Amino acid sequence: MKENNFFERVKQNPRPVVVDFWAPWCGPCRAIGPVMEKLGADYTNRVDVWKVNADEQPDLLRSLGIYGIPTLIAFHKGQEIARRTGAASQAALSTLFEAALSGDKPVHSGPAMMDHLLRFVAGAALFILAFQGRFSGMYLFLAGLGAVVAFSAVYDRCPIYRAISARLKAWLRKDQPDQSRS
Amino acid sequence: MFKVNEAIWDRIACVVLGIVLLYLDLGGVVAGGLGVVLDIFGAIFLLTGLVGFCPLYMLFKFSTKKS
Repeated sequence: MKENNFFERVKQNPRPVVVDFWAPWCGPCRAIGPVMEKLGADYTNRVDVWKVNADEQPDLLRSLGIYGIPTLIAFHKGQEIARRTGAASQAALSTLFEAALSGDKPVHSGPAMMDHLLRFVAGAALFILAFQGRFSGMYLFLAGLGAVVAFSAVYDRCPIYRAISARLKAWLRKDQPDQSRS
Repeated sequence: MFKVNEAIWDRIACVVLGIVLLYLDLGGVVAGGLGVVLDIFGAIFLLTGLVGFCPLYMLFKFSTKKS
């Protein structure tokens, strides 16, 4: 699919489109594969799912400003409404489908800016306290706690965390297939 | 999971207070039993400030966060 051809097809498509930019060698792309298939089935005849192999379309990726995969872009009436890079849960990915369907930008569901700041400052303060105690005994525990609190400020932006949590959730769902239906 | 019932100023105050209380014991300002009590209160304040939820507020049906 050529660059102009892609935008033309998105515009002319009768339904909203969610485009999945992926590659066969990309682990997180494979991790979200079953989730995308399920969402595609759930939104049949409402939202179309297109898969674009990133290796075969470098110019298209450049023109869309995609620098990492998997990247998912939701289009409504030919206009980009939302995008997400990295593996994510089914709930998070379904917001893209909803955005494509409604044409409204999705509400950011992660921690607010002040939350990030508060957690980071608290984590740093705990770490400084631990540093004062030369990381011995109880202070080492405090340093670990500080690290966890500081990480909670940025966890939603960490690609490693997102990839691991998405795989873990997919694995848990596979392990307990009946629970998701009840 | 739980509803946030602390306003942002309340959360900042809780985090600052929690860190100060922890510092009083761990920094060596206060020692002994009082230090342990301050540690416990400090941890509780820090936690409630970080998550924005205070169980005491919920118990008394109070909230500093505007709905």
